[in-house]
Amino acid sequence: MSKGVFLVASALAFAMQASAQAPVDSLVVDNADFTFTESQLDEDNDASQSVSSITSKKDPYLSEVGYAFSAVRFRVRGYDNMYSNSYLNGVMMNDLEQGRFSYSIIGGMNDAVRNKEGVSQMDYNMFGVTGIGGGDNVNMRAGQFAAGNKLALSGCNRNYTVRAMFTKATGFNKNGWAFAGSMGYRWADYKTAYIAGTFYNSFSYFLAAEKRFNEQHSLNLSTFGAPTERAQQSAATEEAYYLANSHYYNSYWGYQNGKVRNSRVVHDFQPTAILTWDYKPDNQRKLTTSAAFKYSMYSSSALSWGGNAYDPRPDYYKNLPSSIFNVYNKDKNNSEYLGTNAFLLDQFNYLTDYWQTEENRQVKWDQLYYVNKQNSLYGTGESLYYVERRHNDQMVFALNSAWNHTLNNRHKYGTGLELNHTVGKHYKTMDDLLGGATFTDVDKYAATDYGDYSKEAQNDLNNPNRQIKQGDIFGYNYNILVNKAKAWGQYQYTAKHFTFNGQAHIDGTTISRDGKMRNGRYEHNSYGHEGSEDGTTAKFLGGGIKGQFVYSPTRNHSLNLGVSISSNAPLARNAFVAPREQNNFVDNLTNEDILSGELGYTFTFGKFTGKVDGYYTMFRHGVEQTAFYNDQQERFTYLTMTNVEKRHYGVEAALSYAPDSHWTINLVGTYGDASYTNNPYAQVNYDGMDGATNEKLNALTNPVTGKSEQLQVIADGMKVGSTPLTAVMLGVKYNINYWFFEVDAKYYDRVYCGFSQYRRMTNVLKTYAPSSFDADGNLVYDVTQTELEENGGVLFNADGTFNKAYSPKQEKFDGGFMLDASIGKSLRLKRGKTLSINLQLQNLLNNTNFRTGGYEQNRDDFYNTGEEKAYQFSKNSKYYYANGFNFFLNIGFKF
Amino acid sequence: MKKILSIIFMGVAAFTMTSCFNDFDDADTSNFSVTATSIGEPNTTIYDIKNMYCSNSTKAGTNVNSSNFWSLISEDLIFEGVVVGNDISGNLYQQVYLRDFGTGGKAEGKTDQCIQLGIKNPCLHPYFRLGQKVRVNLKGLYVGVYSKTPKVGTPYFTSSGNNRLGPMLFDLLKTNVQLIGEPDPNAPELVPMDKTTATGLNWIKANSNQTWENSPILATVEGKIKEVQGGAAKAAEAGTQDSWNGVYESIITYYENGEKCYSKMYAPECLRDAGYAVDRTIQCSNGSTVTLRTGTGNDISFLTIPKDSRKYTGIMSYYSGWQMQLRDTKDIYPQIDPKLGTDSDENK
Repeated sequence: MSKGVFLVASALAFAMQASAQAPVDSLVVDNADFTFTESQLDEDNDASQSVSSITSKKDPYLSEVGYAFSAVRFRVRGYDNMYSNSYLNGVMMNDLEQGRFSYSIIGGMNDAVRNKEGVSQMDYNMFGVTGIGGGDNVNMRAGQFAAGNKLALSGCNRNYTVRAMFTKATGFNKNGWAFAGSMGYRWADYKTAYIAGTFYNSFSYFLAAEKRFNEQHSLNLSTFGAPTERAQQSAATEEAYYLANSHYYNSYWGYQNGKVRNSRVVHDFQPTAILTWDYKPDNQRKLTTSAAFKYSMYSSSALSWGGNAYDPRPDYYKNLPSSIFNVYNKDKNNSEYLGTNAFLLDQFNYLTDYWQTEENRQVKWDQLYYVNKQNSLYGTGESLYYVERRHNDQMVFALNSAWNHTLNNRHKYGTGLELNHTVGKHYKTMDDLLGGATFTDVDKYAATDYGDYSKEAQNDLNNPNRQIKQGDIFGYNYNILVNKAKAWGQYQYTAKHFTFNGQAHIDGTTISRDGKMRNGRYEHNSYGHEGSEDGTTAKFLGGGIKGQFVYSPTRNHSLNLGVSISSNAPLARNAFVAPREQNNFVDNLTNEDILSGELGYTFTFGKFTGKVDGYYTMFRHGVEQTAFYNDQQERFTYLTMTNVEKRHYGVEAALSYAPDSHWTINLVGTYGDASYTNNPYAQVNYDGMDGATNEKLNALTNPVTGKSEQLQVIADGMKVGSTPLTAVMLGVKYNINYWFFEVDAKYYDRVYCGFSQYRRMTNVLKTYAPSSFDADGNLVYDVTQTELEENGGVLFNADGTFNKAYSPKQEKFDGGFMLDASIGKSLRLKRGKTLSINLQLQNLLNNTNFRTGGYEQNRDDFYNTGEEKAYQFSKNSKYYYANGFNFFLNIGFKF
Repeated sequence: MKKILSIIFMGVAAFTMTSCFNDFDDADTSNFSVTATSIGEPNTTIYDIKNMYCSNSTKAGTNVNSSNFWSLISEDLIFEGVVVGNDISGNLYQQVYLRDFGTGGKAEGKTDQCIQLGIKNPCLHPYFRLGQKVRVNLKGLYVGVYSKTPKVGTPYFTSSGNNRLGPMLFDLLKTNVQLIGEPDPNAPELVPMDKTTATGLNWIKANSNQTWENSPILATVEGKIKEVQGGAAKAAEAGTQDSWNGVYESIITYYENGEKCYSKMYAPECLRDAGYAVDRTIQCSNGSTVTLRTGTGNDISFLTIPKDSRKYTGIMSYYSGWQMQLRDTKDIYPQIDPKLGTDSDENK
């Protein structure tokens, strides 16, 4: 944090010294203060949900949806953000490990990133070949900022409650220098944040200097960062929300000495510097070369526990009333059964009352301290509860060079090179021993399986039984190294009635792991690069081609057809079986192949303009990994799916009607589908278990033959979750005399719960051998069709061959309406100064029942005995809700 | 104007530099308690409670069978006992054992009684240290027997679907349980009944002693573990190789005259039963036996079983015969060093 503060102070000092130059010459409504990026800039790196990323001013659909649907975490076409590419000053800044662009890198610096070129996947552009989600390039060169000062003050009731931003730019002076600086601050404390128990404390700074040597050459250095500390919000089951009487219940916080304390606090700071050389020999040719260096420091704390300590999470299922008896079973949830077993209802009611006390539904920090102190003095001496901080630091060096040449009115082309070297540093440190005295660095799961003093229990055999103090690294410590080189080219031909552009790229990627600890379960394949079964470095060759044909018979009508095919290296984050423990790559690690096509019609009929697009995308051989605390096995678990196949298709439309210069009516919507279309291979790794044990758990025992078979996830038919697949907005805008009014009605539907891959593994689902034949000779199984469709199952033929598999039903959330409005006024003041005021009101109807996403719990409903558990995990998914009524007031002053 | 802005922003910067939302002093736990501060004065004893609710299944409110029955207590029956067994090693699960010498109750003279207190929490020892005097008000709780062992708790359904007397909700400690004073590590209740003497051995041998009055007890027995005697000592146990798959061989195998032999642990996972525990047999010098029942995955379970005779101290109860559960690794004497699997230096 201190580094960030220093840089912020430097940026501030510079901004203060620079002098105002040219007055603002036009009065524009600065709605950009409210651009959708506001949602993105608050993004959490490790959030399970993310919002749409790309806007394209040229595309009437993309220009609207990103912001319009951000409240419900809408993702364009259901794509993960890893399929979009974000460039800053021409450097591709997507994280090579995660695949995604981290918006927190530019958090709170809206003015600095306002100059952005967004493109869809098929568009010809100046900076590179983008993924199927399109891309954007933010121009952060000092010279592109209009000279002047801008102060923006905001108040809202969202993640933060106060925001201040100041931006200053000089424009080019007579010596060819231009300077620009911006800084911002966002803040909320426990009392003011929308979600109870959270806070927000974030600075941001941006500083750029550009030297124009002559008409051909210029050099720019931009540096920026946003040191941030913020607390997180949990998802919860509907039961917990009901008991807390709020859809914004947050289980992460509790009282310590009477003060609110959140267990999940993120520290995020990603200082970045980009040096850009622009070479423009003439108006037809341009070479842009940028080198970027980023050192990101991201960490998140979490409450953890060892020994036999009781799970401290307040919404742990055993604390919930429904853990007492199966409330979903009509045979048990009836007066006769509960009359016979009155103790069940007594406990159910007791726990219901228990939850009515706020203290009981939050983390009991004082109790954790008490247990630790007692255990230190009179027990094993170890801290049973502690707060750990999981670090995901990253050092990135990236170099991009793009050459663009417009040959004439008909032909132009571009080509370029992208190089990226990324070192991801992953480790955890002891954040707080919570009053405890000692902590020994052994794996709690392995200690249970093999004993405290076994080799397997050691997290680092090079430093066995290391005593951990606050700030020490423990548990795991490893680097992921990724190198990527990409060469690309594109060409556009423009004729009177049609345009064609083609793009191609080829890339190479290497991935390896460098362990800093010798793990006791994987003694010979965890330290350094040693021992990986598949070699120490995985290498992938990728590439792709795109083509788009646009036919425009008249100025008002055009048809476009685009097709792309690509083969992309798997992400480093998915490449290792269990990166915290070992060097081994997952089996079947291959490139992901993507075939995508779209057909669109853009039109203008009088005062109507619009666009209709259809798209179809197929994914093949994908690799997806989830890492989660597995309640079933009671240990951290990695589950990797390979050979994943998905299909996304749908229709997008945007229609605008502007009867005069005051009124505009917009209708924007999409109806799509995003589904898994096969049953991928599964590979699972349970923390604490050695390789041999894990290998045994990676097989399905055929119920007929008794033989082991390839483990799979029954995912066929499952929908991509946590984004609406149906979204429609009808908006009306009116402006007069620099007053601006807007009302938007939005409808969302077909949001699906993120499905648990664990619950759908073939060795977790029930398997069935045929029990008999019916009169027609058909196989008969001891399960009904209804049960299969509800709970899933795998059917085998009499000879042991696979018959059919059913995936447990995936929950679809209820659709819902939202009504938003905004009002704004711009004032021209003396000496060219302007003042703009804008008030945005979101979710006016205060719909607090709209689920934006969620996930199923990774645990099944039955004991090993076959007996049904009281708590039904399959019916208790965890959800997120869209915020209720909220506002954003912004005052902008340009001078 | 510039000056003003500079001041404003410098102020903001300074605020951010100094403000940190998550700096906390250690919680003050000096007055922390999960139990009640006052639940009334004792008006009965463990003996009286056991006599009333644990001795006869036919009188019980719920009678699953003669080994599992219980009654809901609807009056203020308050008794005291001293904690003599807890879950410090993880071997006892969701239970503590209370012992008193029977003073002040209706059945004066029926001394030295123990009862199990079931509480739904796997980590009770920080709250219930050995030697801690505890007062329990049974109103709203259930008393009966779980597999013949007298117990205070709440009914539940097991993972096999059986209705049994299980642990009470942890939060009920706030209303039904009170800690009296500070723990006394020298409390006389912590001295186990000595069953290593000739009298003690005869007591174990006599089946007539297997009654509710003598269960549970804190006792010490002495003997060798049957599973490491004679030819059985060197042989692999069923499941050993399969479960550990060779990875653990360096720990459990040894060679004697060139012959590969297998060490035995008290409770390897591969031998566990439905109750997640392993039974070993303590052979006493007079031929009587006590089953040593040890849960898997705790400190005791990974100890290598010595071939020689040891003293074992723990909670003894009976079902079809005597059974003992150790509280801690120190309950084996001479002690076994858990790091080395051999005798501890503390014995020397």
